Amino acid sequence: MAAQIGTVLGIGLVFLGFGALLLRRSLIWKLLGLNVASGGAIVFLVALSHRPGAVPPLSGYPEGTPSADPLPQALVLTAIVIHFATLALSLAYAISLTERFHTQETGRIEAAAEEEMER
Amino acid sequence: MKRALTIALLATLLGILLFGLTDLFPPAEVRPWAEMARAYGAGNGVASIVLGSRLYDTLLEVLVFALAMVGVRYTLKPLGKWREPVVPERGVVREMADVLLPVIIVFAVYLAASGHLGPGGGFPAGAIAGSGLLLLAMAKGIERLSRELHEGTLEPLEYGTIAVLLVLGCLSIPLNHRGSGLLVVFNLLIGIEVTIGAWVVLHYFASHRGEI
Repeated sequence: MAAQIGTVLGIGLVFLGFGALLLRRSLIWKLLGLNVASGGAIVFLVALSHRPGAVPPLSGYPEGTPSADPLPQALVLTAIVIHFATLALSLAYAISLTERFHTQETGRIEAAAEEEMER
Repeated sequence: MKRALTIALLATLLGILLFGLTDLFPPAEVRPWAEMARAYGAGNGVASIVLGSRLYDTLLEVLVFALAMVGVRYTLKPLGKWREPVVPERGVVREMADVLLPVIIVFAVYLAASGHLGPGGGFPAGAIAGSGLLLLAMAKGIERLSRELHEGTLEPLEYGTIAVLLVLGCLSIPLNHRGSGLLVVFNLLIGIEVTIGAWVVLHYFASHRGEI
């Protein structure tokens, strides 16, 4: 049951995040949406590694106890770190774009960039 | 038109994801990992995967992390520094930082050094030490902390850590060298790397933020 709840929660978060990423116009909102979608993917992977009545994948539990799947958890470790790094980098780019074009709306940034290209 | 297309795309994505909830794909058997963990000298299934059977994945991940931090550094550097202190000093934070900081640092080192036996590892340890640095920055002010940490030496230290990590990792697989000692060294190096990365993000986002 817990695995199902986690899976549905993860899918819902991914859906919400992608919705914000596609429908919002502001750069910061888009990055926030990406952040939420990434959190949903992490919840989904953790729910995937759950087994009923399982213990964490550590040694020291009695032989024969079912344990959670360590592989999705290792993937989650990678996902969190890469997510942190790429989010920092994209926020830095957003700051530098805002500094240059004085707006965070993607449409206006595109228009300003095209104007600059023509000049 | 664009909006309708977007919503259709999202609905398709949701449908594909919900398809996984049906019983058509039962969760896979957990493959026995205790044997493998013992072979790599670990007591933690996740550590034996991250630093054992998928070591190259982790090494390149750390490389990606370091490259992203280099990108942050060189994107935000031209924006210029803020003159006034970003975070005002507060007496309460300074007193609490004196009490909490030793505990945080010791806990981070403990997590990195025992990450192959229990829950923990280099990445969470680095994140904890990075939040310790955040606490110190709030107590002392970013610029003063940056001078005390010798900002100039952190950059070579970061690149040196990456180089040592890559060389060690690339040598350990062909030479078939395994054991707990290697995992401890990997975890400590990854912890140093992530701490410096967190400090770079903290420092550059707080002090270089343009004129607007």
